[in-house]
Amino acid sequence: MGTQNVSWWGQQRNRQLALIVCFLLPSLVIFFLYRILPLGWNVILSFQSWSPLRPAEWIGFEHYVEMWEYDDVFWIALKNTLIFIAASPLAIAAALGVALLVNSDLKGASIYRTIVFLSYPLMAIAVGIIWRWMYDERGGIINYALRSAGLIDKPIGFLQDFDWALPSVIFAEVWQILGFYMIILLTGLQSIPQNLYEAARIDGAPAWARFFRITIPMLRPSLFLCVVVGILNSFSSFDLVYIMTNGGPGHATELLITHIYKAGFVQTKFDYAAALTVVQFALLVALTFVANKAAGGNAGAVERD
Amino acid sequence: MASRSKHATLLGLRHLTLMVIAFFMLVPFYWVIKTAITNENIYAYPPSLLPQNPHLFNFVDVWYLIPFPRYLLNSIIVSTIAVVGNVVFNAMAGYALTRQFAGRNLVLALFLSCMLIPFQATIIPAYLITAKLSLLNTYFGLALPMLSTIVCIFVFKAAFEAVPRSLIDAARLDGLSEWRIILRVLMPLSKPAIATNVILTFIWSWNNFLWPLLITRDPLMQTLPLGLARFLSYLEDTTGALYAFAVMVLAPSILVFLMAQKEFIRGLTSGATKG
Amino acid sequence: MTRWWVSRWFIVPTLMLLVTLGWLVYVGRHDNGLIEGRIVDAAGQPVAGATVRIFDRGFVTYQERGRTHSDADGRFRITDNTSHSVQLEAETPALGRSKRMEVRLWFAAQDVRLTDPLRLPAKP
Repeated sequence: MGTQNVSWWGQQRNRQLALIVCFLLPSLVIFFLYRILPLGWNVILSFQSWSPLRPAEWIGFEHYVEMWEYDDVFWIALKNTLIFIAASPLAIAAALGVALLVNSDLKGASIYRTIVFLSYPLMAIAVGIIWRWMYDERGGIINYALRSAGLIDKPIGFLQDFDWALPSVIFAEVWQILGFYMIILLTGLQSIPQNLYEAARIDGAPAWARFFRITIPMLRPSLFLCVVVGILNSFSSFDLVYIMTNGGPGHATELLITHIYKAGFVQTKFDYAAALTVVQFALLVALTFVANKAAGGNAGAVERD
Repeated sequence: MASRSKHATLLGLRHLTLMVIAFFMLVPFYWVIKTAITNENIYAYPPSLLPQNPHLFNFVDVWYLIPFPRYLLNSIIVSTIAVVGNVVFNAMAGYALTRQFAGRNLVLALFLSCMLIPFQATIIPAYLITAKLSLLNTYFGLALPMLSTIVCIFVFKAAFEAVPRSLIDAARLDGLSEWRIILRVLMPLSKPAIATNVILTFIWSWNNFLWPLLITRDPLMQTLPLGLARFLSYLEDTTGALYAFAVMVLAPSILVFLMAQKEFIRGLTSGATKG
Repeated sequence: MTRWWVSRWFIVPTLMLLVTLGWLVYVGRHDNGLIEGRIVDAAGQPVAGATVRIFDRGFVTYQERGRTHSDADGRFRITDNTSHSVQLEAETPALGRSKRMEVRLWFAAQDVRLTDPLRLPAKP
């Protein structure tokens, strides 16, 4: 019989460890089930031929080849997604402008801030319906304003036109995300120590130099976060695109995420949709990596003395 | 004197620009409200800038003609499950992360890496998993992916770490169990963290469209976003009923947002600081 | 403890709850499905014995739900309305059929007394 070697402290430690594991367990289970496992399963599924009726067969890169060679919609969706992502720097710049204007003890600054931010917590479906109505040829205010200002003679079917559809959807998305960018940038602006500006002013630096030499570098973490959110938005804009155009006209507004949805849940080609998801996720990681490098590494974190 | 008036003009210009921006941000709200309370043919050109014969009966129509109460109930139930689960699980995980234990760094790295995986990248396996768990078309299945968020775990962790150790030690000396310590000592002092968690989870689960789209089969189990999207295809009527629906759907979000703006912003910006 | 009831987290939900309860009580007391109105002819004289038909609003169309008759003073009373949006029409063989009057209510089966009469197009 071994000695009673489990001291009171040992018991306590084990109990505490068990408790900690218990506390972590629910969250870990959720994340495992709905983040980590799906990621791995997507990869595996993309290499298989699978349907709910037949068991899985390993087919290697066939899905990827099909994507590359035969799937025109994939390439259109990829192009549209990249355009979508490319629009975000413009939105971020605009938000930076608004943040700079609002950043002060301006009377009513908080009201302006609330108004600009109001669009963010809204349901994307409702926002899509509102903008769909605003773009309408007959009852929409945009066409009405343009025609009243004499800029166009006939109404433009913004969401039905091959060339206008994607910019129109992007414009609606920017309307919604602008407040979010503004808030992030505002927080970043307010964390810049004022003495840096004082020192620069004493040194006689003009306003634009103060902006580019102090503000922008100190804002790197916030700007990086905004860029990452802009990239992720090409995923989460599914709601908006679905309700405004559902990828149409033709595939002019098809994003990778809508293509994945249609392949997986309309055509029930789960395995092919998984391959598409893997490609999109890889794109996301690659773009984030590039953004990280551009921000100077380390998510743009600023070294402070 | 000259610099004073220059300062004043700059200030005026600032206000003007901000007012123009605010105006453009508010135009969509005005337009949809105007359409929702309008009686006449909304497709007539030119559209009137002010509502003609405004009336509120479109809202009554929406309430009775589509299962609005049912959709509202579904959304409320799912959001409540998500919020309650979130607060409980995140507080537990946040507390666990404040303690030192073997593998803590691994767990931290795991959580941080999960932040990079957007929900939309997981939809296909998530659907299959939920189907395997026989949770399709159930309230719990609707809420399940939203029962924990990483940002909120770190918010709780930071809040708990801000509690002075002396309080915790005193409680432990008094013989309180870990659960009691969390409930009686840490949580009451972390009210901002709880509020942030509640508002973030509420907004996310209330607005979630893609997940209910995938897993509800029964039209009566649909949540508000889904109901709104379906309504679009019901009929092309010339009244503002659809837009009244949109207004009714947006009103709770706006109300909750205005009430909890500070916490909402704090929750969003805490994602900018690494935990 | 600080005055916890002064926080917006308490005041706003409580106010909303009170408003909702008040509304529910009001609805409960006034939802008997009563519609009262009167019928006049083109000269403004009350018409007795006219047939009044009530149409319930479906999603796109209106469907006839029932009929009643006006009494000696030209007044009529419908007691079993269950809808929130109805149309009324009065008719006599002699004086013709009135235009359809739309009655939109705030809640289903709301009790209402019509201010305008149903006007028949001819006079005797």
